[in-house]
Amino acid sequence: MFRQLSARFGSPVAMAIVTLLGMWLIMMVTLPQLQMIEYSLRPNLLPAQIGGPDDRLTVANYVTLFNNDIHRAIFLKTIWSSVLVTLLTLAVSYPLAWYLAKVATPRQAALCILLLIVPFWINEILRTYSWFILLAFRGPLNEVLLALGLIERPIRFLSGDAGVMVGMVYAYILFMVFPLYNAIESLDGNQVRAARDLGAGTLRTHRRIVIPHAKPGIATGCIMVFMLAAGSYAVPALLGSPGSRWFTQIIYNWFFEGGNWNQGAAYAFLLLVLCIGFMSLVMKLFKVGLGDIAK
Amino acid sequence: MDGSVSLDQVVMRFGDFTAIERSSLEIHSGEFFSFLGPSGCGKTTLLNMVSGFLTPSEGQILIGGEPMAGVPVNRRPTAMIFQNLALFPLMSVYENIEFGLEVRGVNKRARREVSERLLSLVALEGSGDKQVAELSGGQKQRIAIARALAVEPRVLLLDEPLSALDLKLRQHMRAELKAIQRKTGITFIYITHDQGEALTMSDRVAVMSSGRIQQVADPMTLYRTPQTGFVAAFVGENNRLEVTVAERDGERLTLDAGRLGRLQGSAVPGASDGLKAGDSAALFIRPEQLRLLGQGSSGPALEAEVEAVHFEGAWLMLETRLVASAERLRLQLSGEQARGAAGRLTQGERVRLGYDPAEAVVLPNDGSPVVDEETGEVKEAANVPAA
Repeated sequence: MFRQLSARFGSPVAMAIVTLLGMWLIMMVTLPQLQMIEYSLRPNLLPAQIGGPDDRLTVANYVTLFNNDIHRAIFLKTIWSSVLVTLLTLAVSYPLAWYLAKVATPRQAALCILLLIVPFWINEILRTYSWFILLAFRGPLNEVLLALGLIERPIRFLSGDAGVMVGMVYAYILFMVFPLYNAIESLDGNQVRAARDLGAGTLRTHRRIVIPHAKPGIATGCIMVFMLAAGSYAVPALLGSPGSRWFTQIIYNWFFEGGNWNQGAAYAFLLLVLCIGFMSLVMKLFKVGLGDIAK
Repeated sequence: MDGSVSLDQVVMRFGDFTAIERSSLEIHSGEFFSFLGPSGCGKTTLLNMVSGFLTPSEGQILIGGEPMAGVPVNRRPTAMIFQNLALFPLMSVYENIEFGLEVRGVNKRARREVSERLLSLVALEGSGDKQVAELSGGQKQRIAIARALAVEPRVLLLDEPLSALDLKLRQHMRAELKAIQRKTGITFIYITHDQGEALTMSDRVAVMSSGRIQQVADPMTLYRTPQTGFVAAFVGENNRLEVTVAERDGERLTLDAGRLGRLQGSAVPGASDGLKAGDSAALFIRPEQLRLLGQGSSGPALEAEVEAVHFEGAWLMLETRLVASAERLRLQLSGEQARGAAGRLTQGERVRLGYDPAEAVVLPNDGSPVVDEETGEVKEAANVPAA
């Protein structure tokens, strides 16, 4: 990289770019992560005890998760719910991406993409609050359903996981739609026509032709949405109920309410491991490499 | 198995644009039928209507006597070979060929039997496990044919499938396609802008221009007795001279060619029936119909000046300009004439040209599009009579 840069800009500039990049990676990414790992491996001590005989490396903070039934349940629920959010987002985004890439005229596609993006000009917290209003017990959605006679009494959307799911699918849909759109867009239209011509119906054409082609895009979208969902704080905090707590909320509590940074660091690191694990699993499942995902 | 295709009063419009003017046509079962025309003439639109990708604005299409209105693409007894072939790149050769059978729920064993048989038909035994990317251009071509034949279509639709191949392979594949068509007895509908392909392979050809079918005939008839000026110019090479009819004696016409004086030509039965003295017309003389005349010979002759001599191996192509009218004429000399002319003729030399009036056709100046001799582009007709 240095050689290419210096051929282009001369070696002083190249040196500066590489140094800045290196500093960024080391100081902003690597060191904080290492520090977090270091924190997670030490007990939570009073300032006076730090450096004392009790200040030694231990995995006790990690064991906590496995001994605490509630935390463990929330951890597992976070995984499961994030998978569900990912699948839901995929189910919603795939037809949309197909429409944008292959069905819509350029004008319709542009309009549709604009409509998708406009809400994202507003802050995520505010957007999530607007769902809070929409889904409220006496909110517009219940009013509409009541008026249409579809339900007899208002539904408590926000009491279980449903509100969190809806909020997350909405918040992360772009991260699924765009990789899918890119992947489907690059499919030769004649492939689809050939499949139809050979007798394939809509479902089979998608299953055998479109989806295999769009696999890297699907993998990318799924990885992004899963990581965002598993690491989300605002959505479950605002749209969740006490019964639908997310693992990130536990981590937050350790840091800012429990004052136990060491414990919080251990939990945060476990979440990171989980995300990396999910990513490798999806990549293996879809038989795609890091290079395909970065595209 | 009836593989006949009928177009019954078919019209296709896209908004204000009429891609296909009202057309009717019968394609017989087991025929190798070509649609020939320049790009944008509507031939691909026609093909897409037969395959079901497009629905005609008016009229109907029948395959084997059954109306196809409302029958979706995947239920039609047709199979298409796409210009870019559209093989499935993520599947093996076997999977490609067997796709249509898989769709129809044929079991794996029966599928494999069919694909082995088809692979041997297209002379690619043992390639079934290969990936599409490993195949050469000609091999891909054959796999595309095998994939289409696997579904046992009554009609095979081919959309310029040879255009991506190089010349030698293209000529080889022409013969192969024709052989496959004979062996299978399936109706082939072939779309091309290459008149060589259409003439060599087809039983009959429909020449199209600007959304109209200009003429439907076997290749020989098309070449010898074109019904419109467009067909005369587009099928094979032709020299066109603007003339006015001076006298008519049966099929034999005497023409007033302005500064060139009087010329002779033959009326085409049908198209030229209405031609009478005083009508504006076009005289077509093919390059191979023109001969160099000796100095002492008598009879009608055109005085011309040689502009360029191209040696093409088997024949000699001569570009000349008429002395009287400055119009260009191309001559194709072969055999004795070519041997005599080669080396002797140079640029600027005067020559006398003759032709047999019985072979040169005269067609009315009907306003059909003409082909630009220099570029091969299709233009709207210049209705300017000879000055």
